[in-house]
Amino acid sequence: MAVDTLTLTVLAAIYIAVTFYLGYLGYKKTKCSEDYLVAGRSSHPIIIALSYGATFISTSAIVGFGGAAANLGMGLIWLTVLNIGIGILLAFVVFGKKTREIGQRLSAITFPDLMGKIYKSPALQYISGFIIIVGMPLYTAAILIGGARFIEPTFNMEYTSALLIFAAIVAIYVFFGGLIAVMYTDALQGAIMLIGMSFLIVLTYVYLGGITAANTALTNMADMVPKALADQGMTGWTSMPELGSPIWFTLITTLVLGVGIGVLAQPQLIVRFMTAKDGKSLNRAVLVGGPFILMMTGVAFTVGALSNVWFYQQDGTIAITAAGGNVDAIIPLFITQAMPDIFVVIFLLTLLSAAMSTLSGLFHAMGTALVCDIWGRGRECALSLRANQCGLIVMIIVSLVIAFVLPGSIIARATAMFMGLCASAFLPAFAVGVYARTPSTRAAIWSMVSGTAVWFFWTAFVHAAEAKPLGICQALTGQVTLLGAPWTVIDPLIIALPVSAVIMAVMQLRSAREQDGAVEVPA
Amino acid sequence: MILGIPDLQIVIGYGLAIGLALACIVYGLLNWNREGEEDGS
Repeated sequence: MAVDTLTLTVLAAIYIAVTFYLGYLGYKKTKCSEDYLVAGRSSHPIIIALSYGATFISTSAIVGFGGAAANLGMGLIWLTVLNIGIGILLAFVVFGKKTREIGQRLSAITFPDLMGKIYKSPALQYISGFIIIVGMPLYTAAILIGGARFIEPTFNMEYTSALLIFAAIVAIYVFFGGLIAVMYTDALQGAIMLIGMSFLIVLTYVYLGGITAANTALTNMADMVPKALADQGMTGWTSMPELGSPIWFTLITTLVLGVGIGVLAQPQLIVRFMTAKDGKSLNRAVLVGGPFILMMTGVAFTVGALSNVWFYQQDGTIAITAAGGNVDAIIPLFITQAMPDIFVVIFLLTLLSAAMSTLSGLFHAMGTALVCDIWGRGRECALSLRANQCGLIVMIIVSLVIAFVLPGSIIARATAMFMGLCASAFLPAFAVGVYARTPSTRAAIWSMVSGTAVWFFWTAFVHAAEAKPLGICQALTGQVTLLGAPWTVIDPLIIALPVSAVIMAVMQLRSAREQDGAVEVPA
Repeated sequence: MILGIPDLQIVIGYGLAIGLALACIVYGLLNWNREGEEDGS
C-alpha cells in the first residue's frame, strides 16, 4: 500500500477517538431503558437516515457486491433500484410510519416485542427472538471477518488480534451508550462513507476519460468475458446476462431480489423507525436516505464494473484476473492501485465505518433479543440496562466464536442468506401486523414458521451455493442437492417468501371471515 | 447506445435508480412538515 502506516494509524486513531466521544455522548444521554433500546424515541431525521443507511450498507455491499459487479457487470444496478425503491421509499413511507406509530402506542422496544404486542402473542415474540439470535450471529460473524480481514494487512496486525480489537471497539460504545451511541456513531460513519464514495465515482470516471468514454470502453471489452462465465449466460459488463441462464438466475434471484427484498424485514433496521419522534422525522429521513443509498451501492456497482477498464488499460487484463480470482479483493486492489494516497486513507476509513456501523446495529439487536425477548420476556428485569448489557456481551461472544469457525469467503453469501431468512420469516407477518385491523395470530405463527422451515430446507437441500458447503444433503441422501438445474441456482427466498406470504394471506382471510383467533389492534 | 451502454435494460436500471433517489428528495421536501395520515394533519 502506498500510504505509510504511521499516517494511517494517526488518522484511524482520530477516527476512533471521535467515535468514542460520540459513544460517550450516547452514554450521557442514556437515562433509562427506553433510551438504551429505542434512543428515547426522539432521534433527529438526518441521524435516522444516516444510521439506517450506514447500518443497511456494510463492507459486504461495497467490497463484496462491488466485486460481484466487477465480475458480473452493471446488471447489479437493479439491486440499487430495489435498495432505494424498497429499502428506502417503501420501507419508510409504507412500513416506517406505521411501525413508528404502532411501536409508540404499544410501547414496543424491540422488533420481536413489536410483533408480540401487535399479535398479543408471547409465542410470536419468542419465535422472532429465536430467529434473530440464531440467524443474526452468522451475519454478524461475516461482518466481523470482513472487518478483521481488512484491518489485518492495513495495520500489519495478526488476524486474531484484529478480530478481537475490532469487536471490542464496537462493543464498548454499544455496551455503554446503547442505541443513542449506535445512531450517533452511525451518522458519523455514514458521513464518512458518503465522502469516500463520492470521491470514488468522480475519480474513476475522470481517470477513464469521462462517462461515455469509460462505458464505451467497458462495452468494447465484451469479448474478454471469461469462457466459464460466457458459457453460463454472461454477455458483457454493460449488458444483462441471457434471460433464464444460470448467471441471470444468480444475478436476479440471489443478488437483486434476495438482498433487495430482504432489507424490508431486518429487525435491526425496523428498530430505527421506532426511534423517530413523529411521522415528519421519517418523511425528512427519506430525503437523505434515497441519495445516500444511490451513492453507496450505485457507486460500488458502477465502479466495480468499470475497474475492468482500468485493469485492462494498465495490464491488458480484466479485474478478476488482476485480483488473482478473488472477487473480494477487486475493489481494494483497484483503490490502492488507481487512487491517490489520500483517497486510499479516506476509503479505508469508509470501509471501517461501513463495517462498524452495521456491526453496532447487529450487536444491539441481538443483545436486546436475547434479554428482552427470550430470557426476560415479560419480566421487569429485562428492561434494566445491566441486563441488556449482559445480553450484549453474551451475543458478542457467540458471534466471535462463530467468526473464528467460519471461512473467510463467506461475507457476501452470509449477507444474502441473512436477508433472505429475515424476509422469508418476518415480512408477511410484519406487513399484515402493521396494516390489518384484526391480524390473525395463528396466521402469523404459521407464516413465520413455514417461511423459516422452507428457507432452511431450500438452503440445505437445493440451493447449490449453500447446500454444497453445508454437506447436510450429501450426508443424508448421498446427493449434493435434491433437485437439478435450474432449481439449484434459484435463491431460497424466491421459494420461501411466497410460501410464507400465501399461508399468511389465506389464513388471515379465513380468520377475518370467521373472526376466529383474530385480535383487535388497540386503537 | 446511451452514454456508452448498449443494453436498454441497464440504461433503464440507471434511470430508475437515479429517478428513485430524486423521488426520495422530492417526497422529503413535499412532506417536510406533514405527519402520517393517521395523525390527521
